[in-house]
Amino acid sequence: MSLIPRSRTARAHILFLAVPILLFGAFYIYPIAASVRLSLHDWNGFSPDQRFVGLRNYAALWGQPRFINAVLNNLAWVAFMLTVPTGIGLALAAILDRGIRGETMFRIIFFLPFTIPAVSVGAIWRWMYEPSNGLLTTTLELVGLGGLAQNWLGDPDIVTFALMGAVAWWTTGFAFLVFFAGLRNIPEECIEAARIEGGSDWQIFWKVSFPLLWPSTIIVLGISAIDAMRLFDVIWATTKGGPAYASEVLAVQMYDLAFGRFQMGRASAVAVSLLVLSAVVIMPYIWYMTRRVQDAEVE
Amino acid sequence: MMADPLKRRQTILTRLVLVCAAIVFIAPLIVAALTSLKSPAEITRVLSLPTDLWWQNYAAAFDRMGRSFFNSIAITVPAVAFSILIGAVAGYPLAYMRGAGGKAIYFLLLTGMLVPFQIVQIPLFFMIQGLGLYDTVPGMWLVHTAYGIPFCTFFMRNFFASVPRSMYEAAQIEGCGPARYFWKLLLPASTSGLSALAIIQTRAIWNDLLFAITITSSDNARPVTVSIAGYASSLQVEYGPLMAGTLVSILPVMAAFLLFQKAFVRGLLGGAGK
Repeated sequence: MSLIPRSRTARAHILFLAVPILLFGAFYIYPIAASVRLSLHDWNGFSPDQRFVGLRNYAALWGQPRFINAVLNNLAWVAFMLTVPTGIGLALAAILDRGIRGETMFRIIFFLPFTIPAVSVGAIWRWMYEPSNGLLTTTLELVGLGGLAQNWLGDPDIVTFALMGAVAWWTTGFAFLVFFAGLRNIPEECIEAARIEGGSDWQIFWKVSFPLLWPSTIIVLGISAIDAMRLFDVIWATTKGGPAYASEVLAVQMYDLAFGRFQMGRASAVAVSLLVLSAVVIMPYIWYMTRRVQDAEVE
Repeated sequence: MMADPLKRRQTILTRLVLVCAAIVFIAPLIVAALTSLKSPAEITRVLSLPTDLWWQNYAAAFDRMGRSFFNSIAITVPAVAFSILIGAVAGYPLAYMRGAGGKAIYFLLLTGMLVPFQIVQIPLFFMIQGLGLYDTVPGMWLVHTAYGIPFCTFFMRNFFASVPRSMYEAAQIEGCGPARYFWKLLLPASTSGLSALAIIQTRAIWNDLLFAITITSSDNARPVTVSIAGYASSLQVEYGPLMAGTLVSILPVMAAFLLFQKAFVRGLLGGAGK
């Protein structure tokens, strides 16, 4: 029961929301609408006339191996981001949670790469992957496996895997830290009770700890999926999508078409395709998060 | 008693796994640091220590990237402040509103999180030029504030929802209006959430490349990420100065995280979990 007239509170709420909603309209809704419109036109970015071409930009894209390759790369990145850094992060968190000496040091080391700018990750790993003197090749030669050394970033068949290695190094720390904090939040009694029941460490982890980690898991998975769809910086700074477009994702292709070749219509069509792909992958997550908030309040 | 040797072996094994993982995580940073101190003649011997500390690499990096480093600071500090303020301003009513309206607005703002920025890139380029903010630091403030809205709102809304409701009710009984409550009571009581969000935003804004290459073009406003990307993708890369510049670009955010790591974790789980 509120002592303040409802209308006054409601008016204040609307005032508070005015600026964020205006900015959201100006920087999200308007540009998205403009991009969708632009994707139906042919335009070089300078000339005063934009020629309407209907869906021809999309039709052209779907006939191009370059576009299909980028879509497949995006899907591969989603699958990768949801599993590899997440899995390694969970494993490291579970191992470190057993109470090991030097815990703080390990925690800092695992987390450190996550704080680095994507372009710096790119710069560092260009040097690690340098085909003749890089760390990877040098290490392989040192242990007598020089034959396995590759032109890591120059071979179209390998380049995406090489980039994934760099990204795993970069983002695992995030999953690790969130899982680690989540494990620390689990009440000791739950684990003790399971131990008294005679569960092995392995059983306790999967039957007791892991389900209780759900809030951490959902954060890590959601952010990983979002990052995978937005992935641009690392690829741009490391390979620019090369060699021969092999490592391109839609974001990189869009940038090349728009600001490298001034095909604004075609580039917008790539961007719209990316938005649709992203919506399909991530919308269930956003929906779930909104719903869950409501549920929590009903309680 | 019988389990003892087994337990010992397990402990040794876990330590081994952890140490190996730690080496993999730290090695690239150590190699980068060593490389940044090597002369061009030594640089190809990756695993050796530098014989002399070749500080010239840092001088060369500063020549090429010094200005952009200061641009990064000039962009990041105000942009972080603006974006968390907007997030708090939007999150407050959404945490207290009842009914479908608030829910719909919250959902709308959250959908911004799934938007890949490529879809706004071309119109944004022309909008910022139209506003006369192309290649300016305030242009970067505006962009980072606007595109921070979905995440900052999400974060602050959940944080405010976890603040005990009794505080709000007590304030209402005292006759404190909703705006006064926000500025005088809620914000000062929310420093842990605000600082966690500040760290997340510092990382996001300092590390941004995409907006920077879209709406900056010169040393007027270009942040350090753009300089590094340009340097790294040039044909003949000089790794010594590149690693020197890279390390310097890493330090501010890394230091911030190390100092405020606890607040970050607490904010992330408290704000979004539970």
